[in-house]
Amino acid sequence: MLMQGLEVLLEQAEFFVIAIVVLGLAYLALEHREITYAVFFFGFMAAAVAGFYILLEAPFLVGIQIAVYTGGISALIIFGVLLLPRAQDSSLEIFQTPRRRRLGLLLSAAVMLLSAVLAFFYPWSELSPVSPPELPQNIQGLAAWLWDSHGIYVEMIALIMLTALVGSVAILKRMKAEELRPLTAESHQEPAGRKDTAGSGSASQPETAGEEKEVGSE
Amino acid sequence: MIPLSWYLVVAFMLIGLGAYGMVTKRNLIRIIIGAEIMANGVNIALVAFSIYTSVFTFTGQALVIIVISVTAAHTALAMALMLMYNARYSTVDLGERVAAEGSKSE
Amino acid sequence: MRLFIDFNYVFVWALLAIALVAIMLAASWILRPHILQNSEKTSTYECGEEPIGPARISYPYSYFLYTILFVIVDVMGAFLWLLSVSQSRVSEAAVWQMLFFVLLITAGIGFALRMFPQTILSGQETLKLYREGKARRESQKTEAAK
Repeated sequence: MLMQGLEVLLEQAEFFVIAIVVLGLAYLALEHREITYAVFFFGFMAAAVAGFYILLEAPFLVGIQIAVYTGGISALIIFGVLLLPRAQDSSLEIFQTPRRRRLGLLLSAAVMLLSAVLAFFYPWSELSPVSPPELPQNIQGLAAWLWDSHGIYVEMIALIMLTALVGSVAILKRMKAEELRPLTAESHQEPAGRKDTAGSGSASQPETAGEEKEVGSE
Repeated sequence: MIPLSWYLVVAFMLIGLGAYGMVTKRNLIRIIIGAEIMANGVNIALVAFSIYTSVFTFTGQALVIIVISVTAAHTALAMALMLMYNARYSTVDLGERVAAEGSKSE
Repeated sequence: MRLFIDFNYVFVWALLAIALVAIMLAASWILRPHILQNSEKTSTYECGEEPIGPARISYPYSYFLYTILFVIVDVMGAFLWLLSVSQSRVSEAAVWQMLFFVLLITAGIGFALRMFPQTILSGQETLKLYREGKARRESQKTEAAK
């Protein structure tokens, strides 16, 4: 009985620690001045959310959360920050308009009010938790759900990945076509980057056939 | 045990934080980070619901795998669009664009 | 709580990884000579001139495609790992499904790598841009000199 009480207490303490870490890192990821610090805090937050998945008895999700979120998505955003030298200036967050802040606070207050109603006044909170199977059967059961019963979702994921790849290639080709537009005489400041802001000073013109020929002439 | 409402509170606080970040921030990268925080909150809520049912199925966990994969593709395209925005306007600050347009000056 | 006890080894391994990085950083801090951070020794060398402004450079945007490719391959690898440790990997339906899945994503990766040379500026185009920029600067200089 003492061991059970200790176990429950330990579980609650662990929940509080992980919750404070996750919420603190999420707040820091949004509010810190330097953008490079903010994306690293987001990466750590994604790894801390995996702690929640350990509490919730979902072992495969721990692995996929750390691998895809911290190792993939966080690296994606860090790479994007590295590609944009102007985004690393810390002066972008000083002047925030108060109307937007009020709108944002109103929106999140509405979301949290709805969630408080859902969390506390709905009969969900009366249920007791069922414990999932043990570690090996958990992964077997998950794989069986995915491939024996609902195999369409895996194909849907493949299609979504294909869409992401084709879309990003199309966007990069379009960015290159914008670089090759003839520049007008309007001068903009020369950044330290070589050729990434070449297309920003031009007036909007429709894409001519010459650019298509140049883009496709590899 | 930990009641369901605790997990939901944390999940919805993350969603609220992400929504606040997406609405308020001027830097485009922070808006994308806000979207990611919201997605994490949604995942926590989904997995919490999968535990507190009468019969345990793997629907919640598998759905979270799918949501994580879809979020990865979404972030990739969002970052590519942000790079295109930066190539066109040479900034990622939305405030500068609003000031340049002059239409929605606050 | 059970899973937390099962994952104990992962937690210990993570602590060891953090300790390894911390020990490496501490060892290099101990072993390196300590000089004043704002002295002339630590400033950037710019061929004898005084360096102005921050040293921030950018890279060609098209290298972003490799990071996207990594994320796609990561998701595919997670699904493949899940199938490889399960008991349904030998059923015929699962084999066909995974074949379709891998073929789709590999087709996407092949498309992205095939189209990658078309997203970067080739040598001819860089030369053309350079000559246009130089001509523009020359014309601005002559106009300003008038």
